Parts: sequence; C-alpha cells; structure tokens
Amino acid sequence: MFDYFLQQLIFALAIGAIYGLIALGYTMVYGVMRLINFAHGEFFMLGPYIYTFLFSGLVGLGGLAPVLDSAIAIVASFVIVGLLGVAIERFAYRPLRAYGRLAPMLSALGMSIVLQSAVRVTVGPQPVHFPAIVPSTPIDALGGMVTTVQLGILAAGVLLMVGLTLFVNGTRLGIWIRAASESWTTSSLLGIRVNRAVSLVFFIGPGLGAMAGIMYASYYGIMQPTMGSVIGLKAFTAAILGGIGSIPGAMLGGFLLGAIEVFGTAFLPILSFGYIGTEYRDVFAFAVLILVLLFKPAGLLGETVSEETTVAKKDY
Amino acid sequence: MNRTRILLTAAALLFASGAMPVLADDIVLGGSAPMSGAQAEFGQSQIDGAQLYFDQLNEKDGIKGNKVVFRPLDDRADPRQGTLVAQQFCDDSAVIGVIGHMNSGVTMPALDIYSECGMPQVVPATNPELMRMGFKTVVRPVANDFVQGALPAKYVTEKLGLKNAVLVHDKTVFGQGIAGVFKDNFEAGGGKVSGTYGTNPEDVDFSALIASIKLENPDVVYMGAGMPQLALFLKQMREQGLKAQFIGPDIGFTVDFITQVGAASAEGALMTFQLPPYDSSPELKDFSDRHQARFGRAPGPYASLGFANAQVMAAAVEKAESLDRAGVLAQLHGVTVDTLLGPVAFDENGENTTAPMYLYVVKDGKFELIKQ
Repeated sequence: MFDYFLQQLIFALAIGAIYGLIALGYTMVYGVMRLINFAHGEFFMLGPYIYTFLFSGLVGLGGLAPVLDSAIAIVASFVIVGLLGVAIERFAYRPLRAYGRLAPMLSALGMSIVLQSAVRVTVGPQPVHFPAIVPSTPIDALGGMVTTVQLGILAAGVLLMVGLTLFVNGTRLGIWIRAASESWTTSSLLGIRVNRAVSLVFFIGPGLGAMAGIMYASYYGIMQPTMGSVIGLKAFTAAILGGIGSIPGAMLGGFLLGAIEVFGTAFLPILSFGYIGTEYRDVFAFAVLILVLLFKPAGLLGETVSEETTVAKKDY
Repeated sequence: MNRTRILLTAAALLFASGAMPVLADDIVLGGSAPMSGAQAEFGQSQIDGAQLYFDQLNEKDGIKGNKVVFRPLDDRADPRQGTLVAQQFCDDSAVIGVIGHMNSGVTMPALDIYSECGMPQVVPATNPELMRMGFKTVVRPVANDFVQGALPAKYVTEKLGLKNAVLVHDKTVFGQGIAGVFKDNFEAGGGKVSGTYGTNPEDVDFSALIASIKLENPDVVYMGAGMPQLALFLKQMREQGLKAQFIGPDIGFTVDFITQVGAASAEGALMTFQLPPYDSSPELKDFSDRHQARFGRAPGPYASLGFANAQVMAAAVEKAESLDRAGVLAQLHGVTVDTLLGPVAFDENGENTTAPMYLYVVKDGKFELIKQ
C-alpha cells in the first residue's frame, strides 16, 4: 500500500506543478490589478503551439543540436507569449481601467475567445500530436514507476517557482510588483511607475503559463485549441484555494489541488467500498474548495483584505 | 442578323436555366454530419462517399431520368445545430430524404423533427436506443453498438483466452452504453469483470486511475470513450507498464490514435469498426480509386458507409411510386439492396438484419483486419 501511495504522490506532484505555474499567472495579475484574467488559459494553450512552430522552423532551417533547438524554442516561447500578454494588457485592458472592474473582465473573456478561435482557424480544431521534449523513459523507483517526463516537469516547475520567488523578493523589479500590489496610490507617490509593474506582471504571468503549457503538452503528448479552458478553470481554482493575490498561495494551491484530484481518484473507491466511483473526483475537489472558502474566505495563504482597501485600489 | 441574335439569346437562356441548381424534376436529398470541428474527418468522409454515389447515378441519367441533387449541411456534432438542420430540411419541400446524422447524440433530438414532417431518414449513428424509440421514418444500414461491444468480448474470451477485464468509460451515453454491452458479453463468455471505472469526458490525466487498475492486475482493459482520451489512456497505461490487452470502439479507428499513443505503445491494441478496409475487395478497391479521382484524396474512415447509405436511399427513391416524401417513405423499410458493404434488408425496427462488424489490431503502426 505504501508503494501505491508513493506512486500516486509522484503523479500528484507532477500535475500539481503544472497547476501551480498557471495559478501564478492568475494570482499575480489579481494581486496587482484586482482583475481576473480569463484569457490566461489561452496563454497556456499558445505555449506549445508557438514552441512547435519555432522548433520545427529551427529544425527546418538546418538547426543546431536538437537540445539547443528546443532550448531556444522554449525561451523564445516564453518571451513571445510574455510580450503578447503585455500587448493585450496595453490594448485590451488598460483603456478600460477607468470603467470599473467589470469592463476589463469582459474584455478578458473576449480576448480568450479571440485567441482560441485564432488558433482553431489557423491550425485546425483537432488535437495534434506533440512530441515529447525529453524522451519518456519509465524508471523503477521505490516500487513505483516514474517517467523521465514527470521528473522533468517537477524539476522545471519547482525551478521556475523558486526563480520567481527570488525575483519577486530579491530584486528591484520585484519590489515594484510587491509595492504595486500593496497600493497603487502610495507606490506612485513614492516614484514607482505602476504601469511598468503591471506590464512586468503581464510579461511573467503569461510566460509562466506558456511554460506550463509546454510541460503539459509533452506530458500528455497532445495539444488542442480548447486545452486552456478546462485546465485554466482548474488553475484558477488552485489560485483561489491558496489565496488569490498570494504568490506562495498559488504554488501551494496548485500542489494541493493536484493532490486532492489524484488521491481522490486513487482512494475514493477504496475508502467508500466502491460506492463512490472515480468519476466523483471533481465533486470531491470542488467540495474541498467550498469548505476552505467557508472557513477561510481569503484562501489558505491569502491576506484578509478589507472592503475599503479594495475600493481604494480601484479608485486610484 | 436579328433572328440570329434572338436565337442566341434563347440558347443562352436555355443553357443558363440548365445550369441552375434545382429544376422542378430534380430529386433533392439532404445529408448531414459534422463537417467542421474535431470530428470533421469522420463526417466529411461520409458526405464525400454519398456524393460519389449520386455523381455516379447522375452520369447514368439519374433516377428514372431525374437528376439527383445532394445537399449536405454541417451539424458540427452539436445536438442544437442538428435540430436546426433538421428543421431546415423539413421546411424545404423539395427535400424528399435525409442521410444523417453521424452522432447518436445529434440524431436523437432530430428524429422527432424528421418524423413530424414525414421525412424518410437513413441513419449512420450507432446507439441501439435510436431504433427502439418508435419512429417509423428511419432505417439504419450500419451495425449498432450491441454488435460492436459483443464482437471483441467474444474474440478475447474465445480466441485469446483472456478472462479478467477492467472497464473504463467516460459516462457518456455512448461510452457507458458500449462498456455495458462488452461487460455482458464478456461475462457470458466466462470472463470476470473485476472493476468498472468512470472518468469525465474531458479528462486527460488517467495516471492515478491506472495505478489503481494495476492493483486489479487485469489482462483486458476495455475503454468506452472518445478521442483523444482513448489514445491518452493507452499511452499512460503503457508508461506505467500495465501490459493488459487494450480494446476500444470505432472512434479510435484513426491514424491520430496511433500517432498520439506512439507506434510502439499502440502495438497490439484492438479496435472495432463497422467497415472493412479499402483493399479487402475489388469493389472497395474500385471505390477507393474513384474517390481518389473525384476528390484528389484517399477515402476517409466513413466514406464507404456514406456510399452505401446513399445506395439505400437511392433504392427507396427508385421504387417510390410518387417522387415525394410519402412515396419514398412507403418503400424505405421494404428495400433490399446489394450495397458496397454487402446486402442490406431491414427488420421491423429498421435495423439491418445482416450488419457486419470488423475487428482491427494495430500492427507496425497500422490497423490490420483480424480475419474471423
């Protein structure tokens, strides 16, 4: 039974790392702008598409070693999707800032439809095979089976999260972000260019989303234009679970949601003697979310924000 | 000079009217399947197959000297769009028969509309329930899911001697239904089903589920689900080293299945399909060549079914005493046709009495027919 538990734990960590990375994008944007960026799931979807385009382009041009090709394509996907995020904020959200919180949110919903349809029209609606970046070799470990792809995802996910934490807490640009999410008015009075902090957040968030998308596609071997919708909703849940606006909260929420899903599937039928099937996994996951919110409305690591602060931020 | 001009004008007018899409005497038949969206490959192939047969008829002077006009509409595999299409065909009094729809979930709500306006309908969808709802306007030449679930169950218990199965389904009408049929037949063949697991239709991660299936140590895994879930499941199953025989239904019968799983992991997987391969008989080979010549591409998965359905519809129109819906409907249930896919005759429910089913195995990255 311990082997079984350990095996499931590995699955939970791999999927949790992906959820966590996407949840970071939701939470950072919300932290700075109090905006739920519904287009975020589409950045996740764009990642593998842009990667594939760049990678096959590089290989087509003669290319370098395959490892270098894919490294260049990964970094370039981060930058391209990040810049797209910045542009979308600049042209679709910023002009609407003065019109309350509903207008930018609707604009985000619209952007989500635009991006998804654009990919569907240009590339086609059918799921496309995505070749694994790291060859998927199963390894026997501690009585369970781990694939190299799962280990790669976990490593890359944790690395990106640690990198982001260091960046936000240890650099000058990180201070901008933290200051802007505390209070726009005060930070601009202290000489921080709030719009730059916003652009920065809209560069990093979508970039991380794209990374998660590439990991996800190479984990499951496919990509499709609608892949961002379901997983985006899950990651949004993870962000709320951990406390939206809190960066460590998003990471915790991602891993927690992954664990709830995996252990729900693995142990619900056993614990209920077969009465509750594996299909109740999502019911279980969302019931946990509701419970957490009932007892801790700000999420697990979320700061309790009074209504006045929220209003003050909006009216800056 | 003047007379020549008048004559020329008259000739031009005649020519123009001849090129107009529908003349009073033309026989208009509707067809509907998903021609866009994720299932477009399957839907378009049916439409192409039917078009090919009607073209052939028209070359030989049509039906009783009347040209056949085939009018395909896209239902996007969406039940709401399907009912709109049905209404559109019903409202157009020129349409005297419809071949459609491809999906059971789309066909079910549309049946009511077609039956209301007395529209003769040849159905390519496979859910057994469709023919037991009491509608008198429909026939189905293709085998239903009772046959599709029974064939692989018989094969693995009798030929391969495998007796311990686990069922996975996606909780849809199709997936759960066909897994249930497999279960009944597998148990009747002396097998034991040690577990049934439900998933959600949109799931992509089955790793936790597969780890718990491994505890049952099955030698057969039957999965009633759609694409890409079938491919994802098998891929993850092999990654975890679960070596059981994998069986899936018709939706997985596409090259995408093999590319998404990876040829090595897909090796040995079994898949049921309603149609024989295109190189299995001289008629089908000939069909394939003509398809290539007409559309410039090899026939898609359901092209021969579309062709055979068109043959059934045309036979009913041929026998009809009057060229309207009532005339065709009166003949629909009684037709016996020797189609591209074999003889077709209908029982009192409108089901084909001899509908065949085929079992394929993935071998060297290709689907290969298993001779029964």
